[in-house]
Amino acid sequence: MVIADLGSLYGMIAIGAGLATGLAGIGAGMGEQGIGAAVVGVVAEEPGFLGKGLFLMLLPETLIIFGLAVSLILMFAWTPFGQYITVAAP
Amino acid sequence: MAGSKDVMAPVVEKLHELRLLHIVNYNSSMPEFELGKPLGKGKEFSEDLIKLRSMARYLDIKSKAPEVTYPESQVVSQMDDLLNNVGAEVNSTFERITEIETEVKSKQDQIKVLRPLAALPLPLEAYHGYDSLAVFVGSVASAVDADVAKVSSVSEVYFASSKNANIAAVFVPADKEEEVSSVLAEHGFAEMSVPKMEGSVDSAISALESEIKRLDGEKAPLQQKLKDLRKQHEDMILAADEYLSIQTQKTDAPLRFAETGNAFVIDGWVPTEQFSQLQSGLDSAANGRIEVQKLEDGEANQLAEHGEDIPTQMNNPKIAKPYELITRLFAIPEYKEFDPTLLIYAFFPIMFGMILGDIGYGIMIFLVLLLLERKFRTDGWRQLINIVKISSIWAIIFGFVFGEIFGPLGLWGRIFGHLPEEEIISLKLQGLYFGEGVYGALGRLGPADMFPMDRLATNAVLVLIGVSIFIGVIHTGVGSILGIKTELNYGEKKHAYFERLPVLLFQVFLTLLILGLVMSMNMALIIPSLIVIVISIAMMVMGPEGPMGLAHVPFYVSNLISYLRLLAIGLASVGLAFAANQLAFQVIMPMLSGGAHTPTFVAIIVGTIVLFVVHFINLLLGILSPFMHPLRLHYVEMFTKFYSAHGGGVEYMPFGHVRRFLKV
Repeated sequence: MVIADLGSLYGMIAIGAGLATGLAGIGAGMGEQGIGAAVVGVVAEEPGFLGKGLFLMLLPETLIIFGLAVSLILMFAWTPFGQYITVAAP
Repeated sequence: MAGSKDVMAPVVEKLHELRLLHIVNYNSSMPEFELGKPLGKGKEFSEDLIKLRSMARYLDIKSKAPEVTYPESQVVSQMDDLLNNVGAEVNSTFERITEIETEVKSKQDQIKVLRPLAALPLPLEAYHGYDSLAVFVGSVASAVDADVAKVSSVSEVYFASSKNANIAAVFVPADKEEEVSSVLAEHGFAEMSVPKMEGSVDSAISALESEIKRLDGEKAPLQQKLKDLRKQHEDMILAADEYLSIQTQKTDAPLRFAETGNAFVIDGWVPTEQFSQLQSGLDSAANGRIEVQKLEDGEANQLAEHGEDIPTQMNNPKIAKPYELITRLFAIPEYKEFDPTLLIYAFFPIMFGMILGDIGYGIMIFLVLLLLERKFRTDGWRQLINIVKISSIWAIIFGFVFGEIFGPLGLWGRIFGHLPEEEIISLKLQGLYFGEGVYGALGRLGPADMFPMDRLATNAVLVLIGVSIFIGVIHTGVGSILGIKTELNYGEKKHAYFERLPVLLFQVFLTLLILGLVMSMNMALIIPSLIVIVISIAMMVMGPEGPMGLAHVPFYVSNLISYLRLLAIGLASVGLAFAANQLAFQVIMPMLSGGAHTPTFVAIIVGTIVLFVVHFINLLLGILSPFMHPLRLHYVEMFTKFYSAHGGGVEYMPFGHVRRFLKV
């Protein structure tokens, strides 16, 4: 693949990294929304459930870490893909 | 234990005093035994307790740390006076206050109704007392006189509009009432009930207002009286509450026993090392007319395996005690389960510290907690405060490692110093750049001059990814090993070797595999790791869940990746602190960092506000997220490996009462 200049390459990487974390965050948020509401309901009835409720509520949180891992790879460790990219001489 | 009914009262007394036996309630499952009956004056005690509690509620007395303690005899002698005289006074005062409040409320409602009527030119008595007339008073959407005239030839309509409503009073002959009512309904008529009063509306309102003022004046001294009563009797009431609770506990205790005509049987659990104390105590209390027996060790184990709820008493060193809060929040460990409190004590603060990792924030949190400690004296709060306190010390330690005081060292370089510019550039070119700060005269320390490690530098992120995953492998690994041990305790060999062990192998060798991939395809690591991973997956398939066990594999992979949050949350907090410092020092007040800028008054004010607000928000987040996320790592990533698989245990709650307001 030939890229016109390094600036736009870094720009696109940054956009990709942002999308990866951001979209994963939205997904995790949507997952937690329902669980959170249910947990609050249960805890109101039975306060002893708080710990387990917290556990359930934090489960989808892993999703955002996946997105973040992808972002980190893009931002800091993209060198493995470097060999496939050539920058066109200006 | 079994004993003669004659000695039941002294036995209950002794049990209560010893506070050793966790009584198992008799569930009347055996026909030979029936439920016990309450001892002596139980009913009176509970009636008194209800009286006392309602009094405490009127006085708004809540449990608090005791200031004075009373001997039991004093409480008993003052009980009558407290319940009857003081109680009657409190009740009557409180009732009068409620009366006044309802009266004021109804008068205020009347005023609300009267206000709009003031726009109409009628005295109040004009609205009432007709035999042949129907009266409609209320708010309408539009003028009604024309339509009313259509259905009723004789009518009198008063109409006035104020700024938010139109008000109309319509007088018609009684026989036209229904027609007019339907006409009015078309105009959105909402009826108002006019209070039966006389004179002009304005004078009625002012009369009501002065009445309200008088009632409020009467209420104030009554409230003051309640306050005085509360001040005077608060400690005594709490002590009496405690005394009565203890008495009812004792008198109701036989309800939990099994009884025959002449004897009673109590089932219960007691810590093994205190058994002899319980036995001798009861023997002397009952003059030998009681038989106390204990289970053999093996029997208890068998019972536990069959799902009997044996109570658990958590036994941790004093320093790890606060962390029982975190364990308890999830579940009480079962009789044969491992109590994870010590593990939480070992891992939790380090994780907290690694995420927050800032000397400034750490010290701030520590100081705030010292202040909070004086305010919050209940056990739960104490434990929470202690947990965060130990964690904040770790945050300070990691702050030194990362070289952060309210953000990365870069801006605080004045205190600690910087690497020279050309050295930074050459480090960056070599790919060995871990930050530009130095430890004062010591310079940079550690292998490859890694510390102080600026977490925002690329190399530091890569190193910290590695460290996070490493902590993850250790953390989940300990969990898996404990899982194997727990399953073996319960005699579940298949679960131990084909469910827990493969997970351990899988996670450890997956990490080694990734390490091999990162170390420029180190085949000596990759090939053996791959083999072990395949074996572990095969073991999972052979395990108790069969091929369904495979469904868990993604979960085990995500377990490890989840530990990246140790790096990620920290990075977010450094990022915010860094942004705050940049904004304040470089953009708004560049003169402070040596830039060319005339210091203006406005710039300094705005810069300081930005600095304070952003750091304050970051500090709040810096307490919350580093607390929640390690909590999750424990609950989700670690506890699922070994804890609470058999459903939580029951806490050891010995029969008795801790005396707080009564002298022992």
